[in-house]
Amino acid sequence: MAPSQTSYAPTLGKLLKSLNSQPLEASIESLVYLLKRRQVKGDDIANAIAHMLLQVVAKSKWQSVDQLLAKVSNTGLRLAQSAPSEQVIGNVVRRVMGLIRDEASEDRNADDMADSVSDLSQLPTTPTMPSRPGPTPLRAATLPMSRSMFNLLCVSETVSSPGTGASTPMSQGASANMHALRSEVIDGIEEIMDEISQADDQIAGFADIQIHPGDYVLAYLPSPTVERFLVKAAAKRRFTVFLASGDRQEPGEVPHAALCKKLNGLGVNTISLASNGLMAYMPRVNKVVIGAKAVYANGGVSTESGCSIAARAAREYSKPVIVLSGVYKFCPADPSDDVTEFERGDSSAFVDYADGEAVDALEVENIVAEYLPPQYVDVYVTNL
Amino acid sequence: MSGKQASKGGAANKSKKPAKGGAEEKREDALQAVILADSFQDRFQPFALEKPRCLLPLVNVPVIEYTLEYLASNGVQEVFIYCGAHSEDVETYINDSDRWSPESNLCPFSSVDFIRVSDASSIGDFLRDLDKRSLISGDFILVHGDVVANIPLDGILARHRARREANRDACMTIVLRSSGNSPHRAAKARGITPVFVVDPTNGRCLQYEEMHPLQKDKYVKLDDSVFEHGEFEMRTDLIDCGIDICTPDVLALWSESFDYELPRKNFLHGVLKDWELNGKIISAEILEEGYGARASNLQMYDCISKDMLHRWTLPYVPDSNLLHGQTYKYKRGLWLEDGAHIAKTSTVTESVLGKTAYVDTGSKISNSVIGRRCQIGKNVRIENSYIWDDAVIEDGATVLHSIIANDAVIGKHSYIPEGSLISYGVRISAGTELPSKPVPRISLLTSEGEPAKTDCRLVGNDGKGALYEEPEDDEDSDSEDEGDADPAVLQSSLIYSLAGLNISRESISTLATHDSDEELSDDEYEQFQVKANRERLSSFASDDSAAAARALDQFHGDAVHGLVDALRADDNDDFDSAKLEFMGLRLANNASDSMMRKAVSVAFATRAAELMNPENGGLEPTKAAGRALTSKKGAVKFITEVGVGGNKVDLHAEFALALQKALAAIKGLDSVRAGTLLAALLQQLYNLDVLEEEGILAWWMDARAAENDTLSKIKERSRVLVEWLENADEEDSDEDSDEDEDSD
Repeated sequence: MAPSQTSYAPTLGKLLKSLNSQPLEASIESLVYLLKRRQVKGDDIANAIAHMLLQVVAKSKWQSVDQLLAKVSNTGLRLAQSAPSEQVIGNVVRRVMGLIRDEASEDRNADDMADSVSDLSQLPTTPTMPSRPGPTPLRAATLPMSRSMFNLLCVSETVSSPGTGASTPMSQGASANMHALRSEVIDGIEEIMDEISQADDQIAGFADIQIHPGDYVLAYLPSPTVERFLVKAAAKRRFTVFLASGDRQEPGEVPHAALCKKLNGLGVNTISLASNGLMAYMPRVNKVVIGAKAVYANGGVSTESGCSIAARAAREYSKPVIVLSGVYKFCPADPSDDVTEFERGDSSAFVDYADGEAVDALEVENIVAEYLPPQYVDVYVTNL
Repeated sequence: MSGKQASKGGAANKSKKPAKGGAEEKREDALQAVILADSFQDRFQPFALEKPRCLLPLVNVPVIEYTLEYLASNGVQEVFIYCGAHSEDVETYINDSDRWSPESNLCPFSSVDFIRVSDASSIGDFLRDLDKRSLISGDFILVHGDVVANIPLDGILARHRARREANRDACMTIVLRSSGNSPHRAAKARGITPVFVVDPTNGRCLQYEEMHPLQKDKYVKLDDSVFEHGEFEMRTDLIDCGIDICTPDVLALWSESFDYELPRKNFLHGVLKDWELNGKIISAEILEEGYGARASNLQMYDCISKDMLHRWTLPYVPDSNLLHGQTYKYKRGLWLEDGAHIAKTSTVTESVLGKTAYVDTGSKISNSVIGRRCQIGKNVRIENSYIWDDAVIEDGATVLHSIIANDAVIGKHSYIPEGSLISYGVRISAGTELPSKPVPRISLLTSEGEPAKTDCRLVGNDGKGALYEEPEDDEDSDSEDEGDADPAVLQSSLIYSLAGLNISRESISTLATHDSDEELSDDEYEQFQVKANRERLSSFASDDSAAAARALDQFHGDAVHGLVDALRADDNDDFDSAKLEFMGLRLANNASDSMMRKAVSVAFATRAAELMNPENGGLEPTKAAGRALTSKKGAVKFITEVGVGGNKVDLHAEFALALQKALAAIKGLDSVRAGTLLAALLQQLYNLDVLEEEGILAWWMDARAAENDTLSKIKERSRVLVEWLENADEEDSDEDSDEDEDSD
């Protein structure tokens, strides 16, 4: 669509613009329905959730940390339920809640971590602290391994807040503290938002370490993260990219044309493949790059459907599989219960609705995401 | 699709940076939409007796929710809802809904207004009312209250606007979804096939017709104006999504035509037909992707429900939980809401179960939608059915492809055959087997809304309810074209079936045969052939000429009938009204001059022959001819103007030939008497200065006048007249030459 046209359909952009002018409840409702109608997708979701939780912290009335936690948790639950297949929503909500607790309990005992678990139990996935993902997680050598995610966010000076909870009567000083807490939390959420928006760039920063001159790289249904990764690598290296796409295509249409053009402009060759020809090309491929939708506690990855074929083919020929994932996509849930609940997409991706016989006779299952077990993944590249 | 997402992503990325002072967005006029929540049809009877049809549950969600959600997803700001029957129910529903209530700040619309029209009896009344209210400021979306669609409107609106800016008369865009060539369930489910004639180069809609299997002739007559377009397509495969983008001009058009009722059959057809009068252009957006359909009848209801379960309608699927408080989860072919329980030994496949619905042991349920709080007993079999909230199906019952409405009870071991419609609160007692014919439609109310007397033979001894009977429609019974049954009958049942309906098996591709003696004149036929060829050139298969021939045939019959009646009438000496009627018929059927000539000659020949019969006085041929031609004032003038139609020799000859053929075709008149009568008629006409002698002589010389025995015998009787004329002619010319000499 040309930008000059007036567009009426609600989008995330419009919602974010109207956040200040709308009552909080209406904004949340709008986001819930954007999620339900799939009008926000992919990596925008995390950003949208962070924005909304920022509004909850900034606009809603709360007198104590517990109240704030309850509000964030309720909003988070609603948002998570409106798109149950998006693990990222839960992750961001948990990050924000953890942040609030951290800010609130700088002085308190470490055991309030235990409380947080019970508070969070309403979320659809059982929250536990994210375990170390993957068999051989790759982290930037420059960053100390010991730093946890939450500590990363606590760069500002600590706030001393009194004990919280409904039993504690609020004093003048406490309300001032609450005010300070509010701004601390808002700063923290803004940092989370920065982190989310910079994740792709940071991941792309590792591209030249992973991709070597003369490599043949297979990218299956490249996500924006993967695209940026390849483009960044192309700036420094000469290599060849196989672009595989599994979707039904119009004849003559080049899949991922924009990416091809960008890569070709940087002097990198691109070859488009149909997904059923993957195995034949695998001997020539040096590595497979896959973008993650979410990474589970056991290291398994939720990816675009079809990626596991590529990964299995790579395993067959002992080629490394690289998964790109921002840290905010790491979720504490175990995949075992959820594998069957992957989102099913529109049937028209495979069969034209105009094909009456097929519509009558077939039951089309268009699974838009699938589970890639950890044993197929060789390297995880994150933004840490 | 992907392009669209990309652009959305782009928008989102942009808005990350921007600033809080984001009032730079130019304030456009808010998008308005009008929902027609009632269509004044009885396709959903008996269910719509008690509940407005837009609140009937479609996959456990009231139909209007889908429409509202669709409008919200396209950024509509102001909504006007027109409700017909049960308008209070619709208003209460919307006002109580925390999502749509105008008071709620959650409502995505800036305003939701209900408009009641007290004496409305059609959609046309709604739209004429809307025109009077001047609520509409610009382009608006006109949707029916039963639309299920996921077609993004942004692009369509933009293209509509571009067309309107290019041409002020482009007033409306219709959204259509192509359904391909193969037999499609959505296409089969509608009973009436819409025929759109579209110019594929610019999407302009040229003509609209409707066809259905019950109509008498299976032809669509194309307007002549259609052929002026270089290229056109006739599409019967289009699914009408019930979404129109309109400018306020559309409302003005409705107001101008006070008798239009239906937006398609009357309005679209009429506006396109009178294009030369109103000059308005209507465009069609034919979409190849996306989903759009109207739950306009029970078959479409069935079809859309299936499409939803097969996820063609994404995001309008049960597990999107678009309704507040809905908690559907999808797992292995089942959509279960919280608290729905299926006993372990039951098999339930591809079905939806509402909140706290309960299925007991040993039951088999497939491809069905089961509402909230339904109780399904042991060893029940349910297939392809829609069980609405709170219904109870007791042990061992069988329900096949039926709709069971709220609170209905199906007793133990009873059998509900395919296509049954069991309305609210009906009770089928244990062990009852409903007959499959007539298809059971059981309700507690009659078609007038009165409580019905329970029919124990039908529903069993403990049962409640009676067979619902269609109201006798007096208005329809006066439609005179016999055989043209109301297509509504096709749409009122859940299962589309032509069985038991009287359908002519006439093939579309053969020319209509006429059993009347009069054949179309040759030139008429040629004309049709040319037309048909032209159509073939534009790759158009249906044979139109036969339909036109049939129409002309009908014109001939009606015209002759009217004229003869007027000639017979004793009490009335005036022929003008008959003439008026005849001209009206001619305009209506677009009859050619030769057709009129034929009709006039047949009428007068018939009358003259009648007068010669003994029961009418047994007049002499000469007197009969004179009486037929001159008894009515204006008849002679009529023949001169209409029958002959000009002062040319060949026209006079044609009329004489037509008279001759007409007399030859009259039964019970032997050729001798016919010939005498012809001679008498010709003489009278000559005396009355209707026919000139050159004309009669040209006829005499014409080979067609002696094509066969009968004709030549008839012709022979006029020899005396012709010879006399020839002499007269000579005398005339003598006189002329005398005069010439004199003048010299």
